[in-house]
Amino acid sequence: MNKNFKLEMRKICKIFPGVVALDNVDFELGEEVHILLGENGAGKSTLVKILSGAYQKTSGQIFLDGKEIEIKNPKHAQDLGISIIYQEFNLVPHLSVAENIFLGREPTLMPGVLNLKKLYNSAQKILDDLGVEINARSLVKDLGVAQQQMVEVAKALSLDARILIMDEPTSALTEQEIERLFATIRDLLKKGVSVIYISHRLEELFEIGDRVTILRDGKYIGTHRIDDISKPELIRMMVNRELKEQFPKKKAAIGDEILRLQNVEKDTVLHDINFSLYRGEILGIAGLLGSGRTELARAIFGAERIDSGNIFVKGKQVKITGPRSAINLDIGFLTEDRKCQGLILNLSVKENICLPSVDRFSKLGVVNRKKEVEAADFYINELRIKTPGMYQKVMYLSGGNQQKVIISKWLCTNVDVLIFDEPTRGIDVGSKVEIYELMNKLIAGGVAIIMISSELPEILGMSDRILVMHQGRIAGEFSAEEATQEKILHKALGGD
Amino acid sequence: MKKLSVFLMFFVFCLLLVVGCQRSEKSGGPAVALVMKTLNNPFFIDMEKGAKEVADSLGIQLISQAAEREVDVEKQMQIIENLIQRKVDAICVAPSGSREIVPAICKANRAGIPVLTIDTRVDKTTLKEAGCRVFTFIGSDNFEGGRIAGEFIVNKLEGRGKVALLEGIPGHETGDSRLSGFHKSVDDVAGIEIVASQTANWERDQGFNVFQNILQAHPEIQAVFACNDMMALGAVEAIAAAGKSGKIFVMGFDATTDAREAINNGTMIGSIAQNPYEMGRLAVINAFHLINKETIPDYIPVKIELVTK
Amino acid sequence: MQQKDFLIHYGRQFGTLIGLLVLSAILWILTPYFLTVSNLLNIAQQTSINAIIAVGMTFVIITAGIDLSVGSILAFSGVVLAWAIQVGIPLPLALLIGLLVGLVCGLVNGLLITFGKLPPFISTLGMMSVARGAALLFTQGRPISGFSNTFRFLANGEILYIPTPIIIMIFVYFVAHYLLTHTKLGRYTYAMGGNEEAAVLSGVNVRMFKTIVYGLCGMLSGLAAIILTARLNSAQPIAGMMYELDAIAATVIGGTSLVGGEGTIVGTLIGALIMGVLRNGLNLLGVSSFVQQTVIGSVIIFAVLIDMALKKSKK
Repeated sequence: MNKNFKLEMRKICKIFPGVVALDNVDFELGEEVHILLGENGAGKSTLVKILSGAYQKTSGQIFLDGKEIEIKNPKHAQDLGISIIYQEFNLVPHLSVAENIFLGREPTLMPGVLNLKKLYNSAQKILDDLGVEINARSLVKDLGVAQQQMVEVAKALSLDARILIMDEPTSALTEQEIERLFATIRDLLKKGVSVIYISHRLEELFEIGDRVTILRDGKYIGTHRIDDISKPELIRMMVNRELKEQFPKKKAAIGDEILRLQNVEKDTVLHDINFSLYRGEILGIAGLLGSGRTELARAIFGAERIDSGNIFVKGKQVKITGPRSAINLDIGFLTEDRKCQGLILNLSVKENICLPSVDRFSKLGVVNRKKEVEAADFYINELRIKTPGMYQKVMYLSGGNQQKVIISKWLCTNVDVLIFDEPTRGIDVGSKVEIYELMNKLIAGGVAIIMISSELPEILGMSDRILVMHQGRIAGEFSAEEATQEKILHKALGGD
Repeated sequence: MKKLSVFLMFFVFCLLLVVGCQRSEKSGGPAVALVMKTLNNPFFIDMEKGAKEVADSLGIQLISQAAEREVDVEKQMQIIENLIQRKVDAICVAPSGSREIVPAICKANRAGIPVLTIDTRVDKTTLKEAGCRVFTFIGSDNFEGGRIAGEFIVNKLEGRGKVALLEGIPGHETGDSRLSGFHKSVDDVAGIEIVASQTANWERDQGFNVFQNILQAHPEIQAVFACNDMMALGAVEAIAAAGKSGKIFVMGFDATTDAREAINNGTMIGSIAQNPYEMGRLAVINAFHLINKETIPDYIPVKIELVTK
Repeated sequence: MQQKDFLIHYGRQFGTLIGLLVLSAILWILTPYFLTVSNLLNIAQQTSINAIIAVGMTFVIITAGIDLSVGSILAFSGVVLAWAIQVGIPLPLALLIGLLVGLVCGLVNGLLITFGKLPPFISTLGMMSVARGAALLFTQGRPISGFSNTFRFLANGEILYIPTPIIIMIFVYFVAHYLLTHTKLGRYTYAMGGNEEAAVLSGVNVRMFKTIVYGLCGMLSGLAAIILTARLNSAQPIAGMMYELDAIAATVIGGTSLVGGEGTIVGTLIGALIMGVLRNGLNLLGVSSFVQQTVIGSVIIFAVLIDMALKKSKK
C-alpha cells in the first residue's frame, strides 16, 4: 500500500445484469484535484457511486488511508468522510439553507425539539468560512444555481468531508460563477479536502485539475499529470480516435427565407425582435442566462404567447397559438431540459420518437404501428442511437442518446425549422461531435437551425450567423467570419 | 427475484393460516348460510350469536357472511351467488334491499336451495312477478312497533306538540313499515304536528347532522322518533350540542345496548326492543325443519316490546 | 431481441398473473367448490361490474389522475336509465341515455381539471357528492325497480352458455386494450401521465385528450350502471358506494402506477379478477366478514409491495 494516497481503488469490477460497467479499474487520490474523464457510459458515474455507497462493487479493493474498507451505504460513506455532489442537487427547495445543510442531523435541545439558534449559527459559520454570501435562513428555492451548489459544498463540509466528489459541477454556471467555484475548490484543497472532479469541459480541466484519470468503456486507460498532457491527447484517449476538429462545420447552400420575426414583443422578456432565418443555415443565438434566449425559442414554438408583432413562415403571416400549430408549420423545439420537458422518461424509445407524429401515423385515431416501428427503426439506425431495442425506456439511455431520441422525434415530423436550446449540455465529447454532424446533415437537406448555446466555442464553431441577445433585445449580429469570443461577450454584457 | 419469492411464500403462509383457523369448525352436518346486511351493527352481531348457538346444538355447519356496508345489496347478491356455488343446504338472508335481493333469491331457487328471510321482508309483488319463492319471513312486526312508538309519544306529549321523524333509507321495507305504523297512531291526533321528516340513512353520524339541521329550522320541536337507535343516538348528541338535553323526547327502535343505557340516563325516553338473537335462533331452527322436509309457517313473528326507564 | 422486447413490455403482467394462479391454486386445494365451470363463470360475472369501472380508472390513473366519482356517476346513470325505461323510451335509446349521463358527468370532471385547473382529487370528490345528490334528488331517494326481461337479459342472459355481463366485459377489455395500445388516445394517455410538459411541447392537445379520458371513465361507469340495474332489477340512488375504491384497488393491483405513465389493461383485468376470486373464495370457505376485509386489504398492500420489488429488480 502506498501511504501517500488518501484513497486507493484496486481492480474494481462492477457487473450489472448483462453489462460490465467497470472492468478492473484502478484509481488513486492524494491531496489533489483529480479529474475523472471519459465519455458518457465510460463508467465514471458508476465508479463514484461505488465510492459514495450508492452501488456495491462486484469485486476489487478500496483502501482509505491505507486500510481496506467496505463501503456499505451512502450513510457509511458520509461517516468515512466521502461526500458527493450530484449534477442534480439533493436539496429540499422549501426548506431553509441551514435546514438543508443539517438535514437528518439537526441539532436538538431534547429529542424531537430543534435547537434553531444553533442550527442557523453553525450553518452561517460554515457558509462564512466558505466565503460565500448566503443567508442561512433564506429558502433554497430562492437561490440561484451557483448558490445552491455552494449550499451542497457547505453540506459536505459540515459532514467533515475529506473527499469531495463533484459531478459536472459547472454545467449550469456562468463564467464568473465558475471562477468563484474554482477559488472555493482551491481553498478546500488547502483545508485538506481532496476533490474528485467529473467534467466534460476540457478547458476547465486544465485550469483546475492536478491529475486526470481516463476511463473508456468501463476500462482504465491511464492517469496523467495535467501539465504533461495536451488536449488532443486527452480526447484521443477518451474516444480512441483523433477528433480532427471539435466542430466539424460544413457549409450548406443558403436557400429561401423560411422564418421571419417582425417587431415581436412580450412584456418584460422580449423587445422589438426582428430577424430572418434561411434554409440551410445555422443561426446561433448567444447571450447570458436570462437574456431572453429561451423565451424567444418558446415564443416561436408557441409555448408562450407573444403580446404583439408578426411572425412569417415560408412567406406567409401566421398565428402560432400553441406547440401543435408550430408543429403543423414544421417547427420543432429541443428544450434545454431534456428530462423535464423533452422526454417522457418511462416511455420507450419508439414511443418518444413517434409522439409528435402520431397524428401522421394514424387514421381515424388508430395508429398504424407498422409505420411507427419502421420510423423508429429508421432513426435508431440513421442517428446511431445506442439502445438495446426500440422498446427500451428512454430513462435508461445516456444523455447523448437521449438527445438523439429527441432529434429523431422532430425529424420524424419532417421539420423545416429546428430550434436547439443548449444542444450539447451534459453530453460527452464523442456524442457532441455526432450531434454537430447531424446538424450539418440537416442543413444540407435544407432545414434551418436556430442554436441557442452558452458555450461560445460551440456558437463560433457551428453557426453561419450569430445573434447576441441582451435584456430581451437583439444586441448584435455577426457573420461567422467576423465573430470572435470578445465581440460576442462585449455585446452580451450590454456594450455598444 | 429472491425477495419476491419470499414475499409470495409469506403471503401464502398467512393466507393458509387465516383460512386454516377458520376451517377448524368443519363438521359433517347440513350447511346453513346466514347472510346479514353488515356486521357494523350490534343488531346483527346478536343475530349471529343466536344462530350460532342453536346451530352448534343441532350439529349444523353455520356459514355467516355479511357485506361490508349495510346498503350494498350487490355485495349481498354476490355472497348469495357464491354460497350457491358452495352448495349450502339453506340460505337465511336479511335483505339489504327488499326488491333488489329478488334476483339472488331466484338463483337460489333454481339451484334448489330454500331461502328464508329475516328482519326485512322481500317485496311481495316483485317476488311474484319473478315467479320465485321465499319459504318464510322471520321478523318483528315493524308496523306494530312503529304504532306502539307513536302511541307512547302521544301519551308523553299529552296529545299536543311538534314532532320530527328520522327515516331510514327510503325504499327499505323495515323503515317504511315503522314509519307508517307511527303515522297510524299519530296522524289522527289533532294536537300533534309532524314538522319534519327526513332520512339519515340508518347512520349515527347522519342522524346527528340531519337532526342538527332540523333543530335549526324548528327549534320548538318537542319529540323525535328515529326509525332505528343509531339515528336516535345521533339525535341525542345533536340535542346535547344544542344545549337542550332532556328537553326533547327521543324515541328509537331496536333497543340496542347503547340505547338502553341512554334510556337509563334519561337522554332517550324509550325504544322498541326487537329480538335479533331470537331471529337468528328461529332462522336456523326453521332452516333445519326445511332441510328435513317439514313444513313451516310463512310468517314467524318475533316478539317486540316497548323499552322505557 | 423480439423476445426481450416482449418481456420488457409484458414482464410486469406475469407477476400479477402468477399471483392470480397461486391464489386460485390455494383455493382449489382448500375447497372442492372453487374449481368448477359454474363457479368460474360466477366469479367472472361478479367481477364484471368492478372490472368495467376499473378500465376507466386505469385510463385516468395512467394520466396521473384519479376519479373518485365513479360510484356516484354509476348511481346517477342508473336511476336516469331506469326512469327512461319506465317512461317508455325505447330500450336502445334508454341505454344510450344512461351512457350519455355517465359521459357528461365524466366530461364535466375533465373540463374542471383541464380548464378549471382543479386537481383531479378535488374535482372528482366534488362530482362524487354532486352526482350522488342528483341521483337522490332525481328519485326522491327511492329505488326504481321492475324491468322487462329484455333489459334484464343484459345481466341474466346467456349467449352460448356464457353470461352476458362476461361478454360485455370481454368486449370492453378488447376495445380498451386496443384504444390504449393502437390509437392516438392511448399514446397520449401514457404521454400525459409520463410527462405532461413534454407532451404539451410535443404538440399533444393535453386539455382535449384528458377531458376525453375522464369522459370515457364516466361513460364506463354508465355501462356498469346498466349491468348493475339489470342485475338487481332495480336502480338505487345509493348504489355504487365505495366502488371507486374497488376500482382503484383493481387498477393498482394490476400494476398501474399512481404516479402515472404506466399501466396496462390486461393488468387491470387480472387485478379485478384477483379481487373477485378472493371474495368468492373467502365466501366459499365461510370466512368471517371481518377477516375478509383484512385479507383483501393485505392483498392490495402485498400486490403493490411485490410490484415495487419487481420494478427494483428490473433496474
